[in-house]
Amino acid sequence: MKRLAAIILIAFLAIAAVGAPPQDWIRTGTGLGVEKIRIAVPDFKPAANDPDSKRLATTFSTTLWNDLQAAGIFDMVSASFYPLPAPGAPQDVKLAEWGSPPPNANMLAFGNAGVQSGAFAVQGWLFDVKNTQSPQVLGKQYRESATEDNARLIAHRFADEIIFRLGGGIQGIAESRIYFVSTRGGSKEIWQMDYDGANQKQLTHLGTIALSPHVSPDGSRIAYAGISTTEWQILMYSLELNRPVNFTRFAGTNLSPAWSSDAKTLAFSSSRSGDSEIYTVDISGGEVRRLTNTKGPDVSPTWNPKTNAQIAWVSGRTGLPQIYTMASDGTNVVRMTDQGYAVSPSWSPNGRFLALAWIRHYGPGEPGASDIYVMDVASKQWVQLTHDGGRNDFPSWSPDGRHIVFQSNRTGKTQIWSMLADGSQARQLTNAGDNSQPNWSFK
Amino acid sequence: MAANADIFPHDHVSRLSLVGSVALHTALFALAIFNIIPSGRGENWGGTQGGGGAMSATLVSSIPLPNAQPEAQNVLANESKGLSQSPPKETPKEEPQAIPIPARDAKLKGQHETAIPKKEPPKQVAKAEPDNQVPFGQGGPVSGPYGSFTSGATKGGFGFQGGQGDFGSRYAYYVDIVRRKVSDNWLKYEVDPRISDARRVYVYFEINRSGQPTNVRVEQSSGIPSLDQSAVRALQRIDTFGPLPAGYSGNYVAVEFWFDYRR
Repeated sequence: MKRLAAIILIAFLAIAAVGAPPQDWIRTGTGLGVEKIRIAVPDFKPAANDPDSKRLATTFSTTLWNDLQAAGIFDMVSASFYPLPAPGAPQDVKLAEWGSPPPNANMLAFGNAGVQSGAFAVQGWLFDVKNTQSPQVLGKQYRESATEDNARLIAHRFADEIIFRLGGGIQGIAESRIYFVSTRGGSKEIWQMDYDGANQKQLTHLGTIALSPHVSPDGSRIAYAGISTTEWQILMYSLELNRPVNFTRFAGTNLSPAWSSDAKTLAFSSSRSGDSEIYTVDISGGEVRRLTNTKGPDVSPTWNPKTNAQIAWVSGRTGLPQIYTMASDGTNVVRMTDQGYAVSPSWSPNGRFLALAWIRHYGPGEPGASDIYVMDVASKQWVQLTHDGGRNDFPSWSPDGRHIVFQSNRTGKTQIWSMLADGSQARQLTNAGDNSQPNWSFK
Repeated sequence: MAANADIFPHDHVSRLSLVGSVALHTALFALAIFNIIPSGRGENWGGTQGGGGAMSATLVSSIPLPNAQPEAQNVLANESKGLSQSPPKETPKEEPQAIPIPARDAKLKGQHETAIPKKEPPKQVAKAEPDNQVPFGQGGPVSGPYGSFTSGATKGGFGFQGGQGDFGSRYAYYVDIVRRKVSDNWLKYEVDPRISDARRVYVYFEINRSGQPTNVRVEQSSGIPSLDQSAVRALQRIDTFGPLPAGYSGNYVAVEFWFDYRR
């Protein structure tokens, strides 16, 4: 009897242990119904047998491959699946071989490239492999003087053309630039580079501190915040003249300039009234208007580039910084983030999303990390793009709305990274010094 | 007579209490089993559609998010929405490998054998199906001017009219772009959450040479305003599909798009 009672007791205890608070299951996912185009890009055939042709054709093919891979709309067919020999002209293409497994491509980009009498000439085609009746989607010819840079340039252009055709009319970003702050010259100055991290070069030589570069929509000027004599001012640098140009000075500390996409207005934060508030100013320097009027700092404005009718910014009016939006005349203020520590908003080119840096759980005892998030402005739904990778901040959208550039110290030092806007394909663009506050050009 | 004032003998009491205890524990045991085990998994966060409470399914228009694995449709399991059913494959019957055992009266068999007519099973007459009919889900990729897409729990399809009626086959890649872009831009959270099933809504629009959708209008309403709205907004949200193919000579292409909504 005692033994029976003991067994029952043990069984009961075991059941009680099972009945402990159940573990919650989290199931989430994004991006349903979006499929990528399978594209095969065999190396372009050297049109001649000289070493120059071969070298430039290789540069061209590599750049083209990288551009298409970085575009984010293609599923690149691995080169080991390609039937041999690589086609150099339309009559060499055997559609059936490319369209069936193993390559099983939807699209095929191919052509030839070579040096002819001092000029690098490229013929490129894009074929819809599954359409045997009229496969040609695109046929292009390029001719530039035979240099390594031009081989890259032509590859960028051809890649952009393919992306434009197949990406639904959105221009490619292969010729876009990224502006950022770097310490590698000793002090913080504004630098520029190609979208893939190539051709990095210093722009400003202020000698003090330059921060938050923001390029104008036509790519002719950069507005940035810099210490001029003793105060923080909005400064201008002309990319056409390659020197600083004048801009109106304001009292107080003036920071974080942002261009509207019609290039008519600049939004910035200024503490001329004692408290930092959001102002807009005409691009000629006149018509200064104050938009915010609350206690607590208001900084980092960003325009809705689609309409220029809204501004998102960071406000500390309730304590910790949060993201707000308002109409460009200061009315209709809406709080976007509900908790934590949210900064650095950047509005996507199609006007639908805000990218931001967010520490969702901020405070003592809350192990929060600063990560990049994307928020749907209309519904306030958000998705986290970076995970477990140091401190991530200052997101900026690419002109095609498919990429985000940001700064991260995941490798120890603060560097510029870019990723697809779903958080995949993150890649480091800078290595030397400390690099921060990237800004992607408008086109 | 001894002064035994015990009304209940001790051993009787202890046995009774033990039986009671066992019964109670068993009851508790049963209660525990029926109450606790079914709730062991806890709450499911986010929907079965994978949208999650925090995230909409088609959040992103131009952001290339990873593919969702499409559910393979088993046609034979007959969830078929099509009218025609695909017949199950016939497997040839194997001959039993039996060796005939000579019977005792094998000699007699030849004399007395009478031919008993074997009953043949009734022959199944295959229903003649029209040869242009394709069982649901077996059509393969669409190559004609009509196409369809699925996105989460919803479906859509479209037809193109333009040129000599061969736009869809000549510029299949362009049709594919239109399909992809519309499905990207259709936000299901715009539809009234109380709606679980709706009639098909047809939307008509034209794509002009530069690729902009124009003349967007509801051709046939689903009867649910929010669904009609979301379909129209999906198209209004699109700035451009990219310029029409250079080889196409017309000024615009007319597109009829339909949306099926099911939650």
